[in-house]
Amino acid sequence: MKGRTSVQPGYYPGFSTLGQQANWDEATRATVLKRVARSLELHFFTPEEAPLIEAIFEHILPQIDRDEKYRIPIVPVVDERLHTNRLDGYRYENMPPDQEAYRLGMQAIEEIARGKDGRGFLELTPLEQDKLLRTLHDGKPEGAHHIWERMPVHRFWMLMVQDAAEAYYAHPYAWDEIGFGGPAYPRAYMRLERGEAEPWEVEEQRYEWEAPEDSVSDIYELISGHDLHQATPGQGGTH
Amino acid sequence: MNPLKKYLFNERNGNGHALGPIQEIDVPMRRFGEEEVDYVVIGVGSAGGVLLQRLARAGFRVLGLEAGPFWNTERDWVSDEAGSHNLYWEQLRITGGTHPLALGANNSGRGVGGGSVHWAAFTPRLHPSDFRIHSEDGVGIDWPMTYEELKPYYEQLELEMPVAGPAYYPWGDPHGYAYGPHPMGGAGDVLIQGCTKLGIGVSIGGPVAILSGSHGDRQHCIYRGFCIQACKVGAKASTLITHVPDALRSGAEIRDDSMVSRIHVNKENRVTGVSYFDVHGQEHFQRAKAVIVSGYAIETPRLLLNSACPGHENGLANSSDTVGRYLMAQAGNVVLGRFHDLVRIYKAPPAHALTEEFYETDSKRDFARGFAIQTVGPLPIAFAKQMMTAKGAWGWGLRRIMMDYNHWAAIALLGEILPWPENRVQLAEAKDRFGIPVAKVTFGLHDNDEKLIEFGKNKVIEVMGAAGAEEVVQETRFAHLVGAARMGTDPRTSVVDKYGRTHDVANLFVCDGSILPTQGSANPGLTIQALAARTGDYLIAQGESIFNTNHRDMMQPAIRRDLAPPGTYGRGVPRLANLTS
Ligand SMILES: Cc1cc2nc3c(=O)[nH]c(=O)nc-3n(C[C@H](O)[C@H](O)[C@H](O)COP(=O)(O)OP(=O)(O)OC[C@H]3O[C@@H](n4cnc5c(N)ncnc54)[C@H](O)[C@@H]3O)c2cc1C
Ligand code: SF4
Repeated sequence: MKGRTSVQPGYYPGFSTLGQQANWDEATRATVLKRVARSLELHFFTPEEAPLIEAIFEHILPQIDRDEKYRIPIVPVVDERLHTNRLDGYRYENMPPDQEAYRLGMQAIEEIARGKDGRGFLELTPLEQDKLLRTLHDGKPEGAHHIWERMPVHRFWMLMVQDAAEAYYAHPYAWDEIGFGGPAYPRAYMRLERGEAEPWEVEEQRYEWEAPEDSVSDIYELISGHDLHQATPGQGGTH
Repeated sequence: MNPLKKYLFNERNGNGHALGPIQEIDVPMRRFGEEEVDYVVIGVGSAGGVLLQRLARAGFRVLGLEAGPFWNTERDWVSDEAGSHNLYWEQLRITGGTHPLALGANNSGRGVGGGSVHWAAFTPRLHPSDFRIHSEDGVGIDWPMTYEELKPYYEQLELEMPVAGPAYYPWGDPHGYAYGPHPMGGAGDVLIQGCTKLGIGVSIGGPVAILSGSHGDRQHCIYRGFCIQACKVGAKASTLITHVPDALRSGAEIRDDSMVSRIHVNKENRVTGVSYFDVHGQEHFQRAKAVIVSGYAIETPRLLLNSACPGHENGLANSSDTVGRYLMAQAGNVVLGRFHDLVRIYKAPPAHALTEEFYETDSKRDFARGFAIQTVGPLPIAFAKQMMTAKGAWGWGLRRIMMDYNHWAAIALLGEILPWPENRVQLAEAKDRFGIPVAKVTFGLHDNDEKLIEFGKNKVIEVMGAAGAEEVVQETRFAHLVGAARMGTDPRTSVVDKYGRTHDVANLFVCDGSILPTQGSANPGLTIQALAARTGDYLIAQGESIFNTNHRDMMQPAIRRDLAPPGTYGRGVPRLANLTS
């Protein structure tokens, strides 16, 4: 996929939720526009930490298929949450506070990388980086065990993935990518059944979507070491 | 700017509060200042909102202290997932045990309206069997009341919210709804198709506390699907819009951003008032003749435990050592199915169809009690999180599955988990910004619970498959909270009596989800509000004797339909003759 970037990946070409903003209420519009224009400054992660955490999130939620201008900020959103100490309302008894968890996790990832042949995480190839992170997903990290004793690896993994998902899928560019209609007050939705598009939504146009070859994240495997009866961090309610 | 000029009652910001696009309150709010009031209600949520309204309408001097804000719905609420986190109790709690519960957005609200602001508004009743599961199945505990005692309050609250649903609802105590059902969204269609294939009955279009037609100064549902992010439209019932306006008109005061830290008891073992912190962190003492705690299943026990004092060393009203114990959550596994055709699950309220076909104990199964199956409607962030557990998705895999978001439908289990003493709320070492120890929640499943979840989950998967899904995955989760200050007849094994009065202190009451001894497989909100209206009637019938005697009169009060918010009684289409009795 290298070199083939686009303004809007996904199966809904030309769909723009932002283009519908005149039909949103004022408070919602302000919230979403603020997100689009957000500052990219970091307050929690130090300038030394920033390249590492950015590299990690480029794998947790990769977007090299997006035009540079249409990438969705993730690290600044996580940074703000940690800086302002906005919690999800709870912490697992076997987890340190989120801020400490991130610092420990970064330390562990760097340690695992160096443990192999002395290269730091940033010096690994993209495929090597992906493979290293995959060992965390699999619950089988190859090193830094003194850190995983203080912090279960699957919990740290879920913390990162959920923070990434929360930043990415909150963004109108992501809504356009997945064909989500977005805010609908005061206008309403009127076509509720059979997946029909509203007059202003776009019909799906599928194509063969492929992940880049130098990655190992386009496979689905349950997170091991993760008891299936365990709730995830930041889980929202349903019914 | 919204062209409709709103009434002014909040001196603090002078902007007034919109409660939906056309609903307004036309009176200034009463201010008691430091004067002693009759009742302080701690927490203006599902139960607190109803209690405040009933007591104010009956002429009591009543003050609601609410930890969160008094919402201005036009200004504060958004049609946006990530922008709605402030609706939830986001402050620190510690969670643990063998099956640690997700807290925060998963089950706890904050602000006037409490959990009714962000609930999905499913409003099934409990079944008559729920009130005696120990007698019938030898599990859990019986309620100190029967279904028949609560039934008039179910009927009453169904009109006050009001609830839309089918004309005939076949499960539990069969009944009908006075307001017509809603149209289906994608999840409902899937539930109907799957259940129909398997010969399972389904209730469609309700029961949900969502307007299927305009009602007074509230508009009907516009099917925008953001119920869990609070309904800006005012179509979904919350006590903020159903009961709080009438409470204020009737002379109640609500102090928002007021976090109660301690309940005070004097040498005569009577409550004298409460301490609370205002938004600036300033501590105040409020005198009251009686206190009602309505802070829900974590904050209520936390407050009682933190109010330990001489004579109540283990926590206030905790001579039984049950404060904090028998906390329950329901099994809430979400089953997701991918369909060849598009679904677009984000439209319509998440709550719009369900089945209670598996609700009761079935001797052919190897566990007691049962479950319901209900529609859910995850928006993109919620769906992404479900996929990271259900499929282990991350990286490019997460991007890929999310591009298929519109092909997925979701339905969920709602299963009964039994009350266990070691599932509990305690005080942790960590403190909040006011210096109050935060809650530590411990939760685990027992054999019956695990078997029920396994069977129930597989049944939901079967329904999803029968509906034609090409791929079916599931995410384990828990929904709702109740218990942790349970009611009962025996003061040695329960915290409050059947009217919510603590066994230990005569002018201290608990009324919210925490008093439920068991939970059935019904979402708890309607039951919580029905219990609140009933406690309201009891307190009103008891009158001054609550304030000046320790006498415990257990006489059942007459239902006071005349104290309902005006305009809520006698509307709709009566479905059952006795609705108008
Ligand atoms: C996403 C989601 C969906 C749900 N869907 C449904 C559904 O479809 N149907 C259903 O029946 N139920 C549903 N529920 C559950 C329902 O919301 C709760 O069971 C119900 O609101 C609990 O009512 P309550 O009165 O006990 O407490 P709450 O409504 O939570 O009210 C408690 C209030 O007390 C305040 N408070 C707490 N401590 C203090 C203190 N120390 N000082 C001052 N104030 C305090 C809180 O801020 C809060 O406002 C859902 C919950 C969630 C999270
Ligand atoms: S779907 Fe209906 S009830 Fe739910 S938030 Fe939208 S308008 Fe309100």
